[in-house]
Amino acid sequence: MTHSLKARLDSVFKDIETEAGRDGRLTVIATAESVVPVLRFLKEAGHDYLQLVSCVDWIDRGEIEIVYVLSSYLRTGGEAEDDPAEIVLKTRLPRSAPSLPTSIHVFPAAEPYEREMHELYGVRFEGHPRLTPLFLEREYEIPPFRKDFDTRQYVKDLFGSVPPVGEKS
Amino acid sequence: MDRNQLVKWLQAPAKMAHKYSLHAVYFCTGCGIIEVPPTITARWDAERFGVIPTATPRHANLFLITGYVSLKTLRAIIRTYEQMPEPKFSVGFGSCPINGGMYYDSYNTIKHLDRYMPIDGYIAGCMPRPEAIFVAVTHLWTLIDKDMADGYKRYRRYYAQYRANQERVLGRLEWPPLFPAGGDA
Repeated sequence: MTHSLKARLDSVFKDIETEAGRDGRLTVIATAESVVPVLRFLKEAGHDYLQLVSCVDWIDRGEIEIVYVLSSYLRTGGEAEDDPAEIVLKTRLPRSAPSLPTSIHVFPAAEPYEREMHELYGVRFEGHPRLTPLFLEREYEIPPFRKDFDTRQYVKDLFGSVPPVGEKS
Repeated sequence: MDRNQLVKWLQAPAKMAHKYSLHAVYFCTGCGIIEVPPTITARWDAERFGVIPTATPRHANLFLITGYVSLKTLRAIIRTYEQMPEPKFSVGFGSCPINGGMYYDSYNTIKHLDRYMPIDGYIAGCMPRPEAIFVAVTHLWTLIDKDMADGYKRYRRYYAQYRANQERVLGRLEWPPLFPAGGDA
């Protein structure tokens, strides 16, 4: 009998925590160094579809959390306990200088997500070939999706200072 | 042809011709562009009012800005507007070009479009119905009749101010000034 994916993950990687949810979802919490090996392991185990990479700013804990959601193209999964439908891989980085090795040599689809997170959250992805601006037109002191970016004050300072055009009274 | 308008046709034929052949830039900004396909096709048929979309801004004289304008879109809008031949008329469509609308606190959406380019009229609403476009078109006819749709003249006159505002939010613009003389600063 083959071991379940959770048991294999626990035996291969020492510095991760795994938790099987009731809804066919396996949550893996990894350190920054083990993200790429875990992704490669999961891809070889058949979970070859990177649905999305997301980012959460936990300002109270001083952490940035990167969330990878993986599933499989061919298998729907979820029926058996050892066959999760979705795998959620989370890692937590210090908020002051978030940095993570890039995963685009494992999942090429991660490239635009990493560019987006670099631009909007200020997460540095080591080894990414082009961390150039993707959406934004301006330079921002604080990346605009972080919780401490005060949008109203920013709007007041930038757009509020643009004068109306016309005859000067 | 309406016989009551014969005098107008004889007095200012060019103005009347502009009025009844508004060629709109098919420029999709924001969500308002959803209203434009039914407006120009059989259901509401904008051609009854002489409004027809064109493929390129160089053949157009009506610019409908349909929805919120992000900074990246503003750059494209300015380039498009500057390529249109005069006389040209621009209409802001929906709440967002007026004052930002629901994006009033967005870091990346401009709030008052008329500070970056001249606007001849606004259609309020979120979203306006296609009928509102026709109301706007008939209002635009009145404005053209009275020589009040003068946005392109204001653009020439206050070009230095417009350009300064554009550079203020967009940084360096990679194209040279449209009117090098500048106008009133």
